[in-house]
Amino acid sequence: MPDILFMIFASIAVLSALTVVLVKNPVYAVLSLIACFIATSLVWLGLDAEFLAWTLILVYVGAVLVLFLFIVMMLDIRFATMRARFSRWLPVGIAITAALVAMLLAFIAKDKFIPNADVAILAYGKDNVRNAELLGNHIFTNYLAQFEVAGVILLVAIIAAIGLIYRGPRNRRQQNVHKQISADPRDRVRLVSGE
Amino acid sequence: MLQYLVFSLSLFGIGIAGLFINRKNIILLLMCIELILLSANTNFVIFAKYWGDIGGQAFVFFVMTVAAAEAAIGLALLVLVFRSIKSINVEDINQLKG
Amino acid sequence: MQELFWLANTVVAAPLVGAVISGVGLKFLSRIVTHWLTTTLVALSFFCSLAILIGYINGRYATYDHNLYTWAQAGNLTLTVGFLIDRLSAVMITVVTFVSWMVHIYSIGYMADDPGYKRFFCYISLFTFAMLMLVMANNFMQLFFGWEGVGLVSYLLIGFWFKKSSAIFANLKAFLVNRVGDFGYLLGIAVIFYYFNTLHYADVFTQIKPATPTTLICILLFIGAMAKSAQIPLHVWLPDSMEGPTPISALIHAATMVTAGVYMVARMSPLFENSVLVLSLITIIGAATCFFMGILGVVQKDIKRIVAYSTLSQLGYMVVALGISAYSAAIFHLVTHAFFKALLFLGAGSAIIAMHHDQDIFNMGNLRKYMPITFVTMLIGSLALIGFPGTAGFYSKDLIIEAAKYSSAPAGEIAYYATLFSVFVTALYTFRLIFLVFFTNERMGNSVREHLHECKPVVTWPLIALAVPSVLVGMFMINGILHDFFADSIKVLPQNNVLAEFAQQQYTGPFSMLLHGFISMPFLLMLLGVATAWLCYVKYPNIPSVLTKRAYIVRTILINKYGFDLLYEKIIMPCVRWCGYGLWKIADVLLIDRLVVNGTAYSIAGVARYLRVLQSGYLYHYVFTMIAGLLVLLLYLFYG
Repeated sequence: MPDILFMIFASIAVLSALTVVLVKNPVYAVLSLIACFIATSLVWLGLDAEFLAWTLILVYVGAVLVLFLFIVMMLDIRFATMRARFSRWLPVGIAITAALVAMLLAFIAKDKFIPNADVAILAYGKDNVRNAELLGNHIFTNYLAQFEVAGVILLVAIIAAIGLIYRGPRNRRQQNVHKQISADPRDRVRLVSGE
Repeated sequence: MLQYLVFSLSLFGIGIAGLFINRKNIILLLMCIELILLSANTNFVIFAKYWGDIGGQAFVFFVMTVAAAEAAIGLALLVLVFRSIKSINVEDINQLKG
Repeated sequence: MQELFWLANTVVAAPLVGAVISGVGLKFLSRIVTHWLTTTLVALSFFCSLAILIGYINGRYATYDHNLYTWAQAGNLTLTVGFLIDRLSAVMITVVTFVSWMVHIYSIGYMADDPGYKRFFCYISLFTFAMLMLVMANNFMQLFFGWEGVGLVSYLLIGFWFKKSSAIFANLKAFLVNRVGDFGYLLGIAVIFYYFNTLHYADVFTQIKPATPTTLICILLFIGAMAKSAQIPLHVWLPDSMEGPTPISALIHAATMVTAGVYMVARMSPLFENSVLVLSLITIIGAATCFFMGILGVVQKDIKRIVAYSTLSQLGYMVVALGISAYSAAIFHLVTHAFFKALLFLGAGSAIIAMHHDQDIFNMGNLRKYMPITFVTMLIGSLALIGFPGTAGFYSKDLIIEAAKYSSAPAGEIAYYATLFSVFVTALYTFRLIFLVFFTNERMGNSVREHLHECKPVVTWPLIALAVPSVLVGMFMINGILHDFFADSIKVLPQNNVLAEFAQQQYTGPFSMLLHGFISMPFLLMLLGVATAWLCYVKYPNIPSVLTKRAYIVRTILINKYGFDLLYEKIIMPCVRWCGYGLWKIADVLLIDRLVVNGTAYSIAGVARYLRVLQSGYLYHYVFTMIAGLLVLLLYLFYG
């Protein structure tokens, strides 16, 4: 991928990632995350991972992040309720993050990861081979069992999510055990006068 | 190649920093986790290209699957938590105090 | 060697079978079946051992060492059941089975009206089995098994009349004092195993080098022998063991169990010969026991106690003989003593039956008119005891005294004078007993006198049967003893071999020894003792009471048995109890219970209280910890 395109997309991704972390409005955060993902997917396109790039947008952005958006909008969040106390752990946290990043940077800056020639567009294996076909061949020959397991994982996720949330038909009377236990007499009864 | 790796690393760093400086809500926590997963996936793709091995991309495939499942269930749990304590502030979830 | 194998196994197995069958069938076998069964089996055992002994005398059999069965194996340690038959054990088993047989027959009469009749026979057969296992053992552990076995049966039999509280005190005392000895003995076995890596006699004896700590081993083994053979200071149990029935006093505390210690030292002669210190110690202890215990016999009233102190004194003789390296003489005296002491005890028992179980000699008198057989046999036994020339006791006792004269060991002189003067004391208390019981005036009540008669034959026949060897065994055995009959079993270093010296310089045959005996110093002292007894108890009976008033202090010391019992009761036992109390309160309650057990719980709780803070419940704390941990892990992976 020509450097300039990579630079553009990469900076969009990084900036939107920063936006995710720093912004107050959660809806803006989710939207920034979506932008970050799209930009990253474009970077992947440049890395000859076409199938994965599309999958990222369709599945990840289109399903998961939209789900995030649903949740954010569904929950009634007062986004101004940022208790802006500066935690005493924050500097330590920043330090640890910086240490992590620096260490990994030091590691990847070693010579062995810099090839002599430019990273050119490679067709993995033969010419005129489509990425999806190649990936499909690889998965369905070598990782077939794992593929099935991935399917099962998704099934489990569906069942788990429904099983956790679903409370039954809307006009069914049901006990809210949490409310029953957290009932406080001081909320219910108030002594007015003692005659 | 180095620039790709730096890019992936910076996404990773931003994700972890986001975990720390997050004082607001849990959704942000989940989103930072998604960012970290994204950076890991990017790393796989980079190295798949570098070594010429399609196995890296296969791995991304599976990671994405698991990440999606995990995000779904995480959000379901989040909704449940919100139903009981009516707030998604991280500091309010402290009932498992030892 | 097939027949020797079968004979040996029969010797051991017959009493065991008798004991087991009569024990299991206590409820449904009759008295007659029980006593016939056990007595016949012990008789069988005796005849087999006699056959073995004759085979050894004829030179037909050689030393036989055979492992029957391995019952445990742990690493280096192999514990087997095996038999070692040689001349020494052949002699011992013959003596043991013979005396046991006589006691079995005697008990038919003595215990006739006792409710625990069948139990008694079971126990004495069991005792015979244990003693035979001890004698025929070929390794230390089996000897210890027999050792403990005889101790156990002794406990059971002393407390045979368990409803009597004095019997219970006595049997506990016997068992506990024996336990002290067993502790030393077990330590000795442990040291033997540590140094020789084997418990087999033959292997141990061939491996003795100048460097092995034979002194330590022998002291520890001798502590066991001290308790079992009732030497000072562990002798206190023997007089109290007279609480048991008389037949067992004859069997266990005169003829067999108490001689186990002497036998053990003789068997271990290769070990003991190496250590001059231990031999001197043995001599001194034996000499002290021999002399001082004899004196105590002079002030006793109970007929059985007199004979008990006499046993103590004679055991002292045997131990002195061991100490001066005259092991064969010790065994010889062991054999003759078994016969005449058993005879004396059984005779005393016969008198006790006639007196309706009154044991006080001051209540008896002139019994020779009523019980002639008992009188004659007891007289023969007493003559053997004091060593009258011609009896078996003369040969064995004088041999020891002469050997002590020739001994060049450090304590040889003490040995000589102690044994010599003990002859006087022995004669004194023995004939005091004879005169007071069988002569002098009749002091028994009228009711007793009317029923006074000789006991039934089943009681008197064993007396006669024991009187015969008390006279004859001596002159037949002395030649063999002096001419290395036990050469294969007992090892004596040439410089210590007093018996060989005696044989060379003075000994010319049993008959000449007999004649020489009439003009020797012991004979003189013996006559002196008999004369003193006659003077004090027959001619001028008020001499003892005068002496009692004048020498009040001496008499108090003697009555209190030199204060050994007081020492144990008032000084040593409170110390032991105090130690036990201290160990309980401090070591057990304070250290183990509070410090270790509860302390562990408290410290875990304390640590947990501090660690609990980590569980804050805050999500971001956990996230923080996770990422910090990730950092550490990566650092380790990349740079570790």
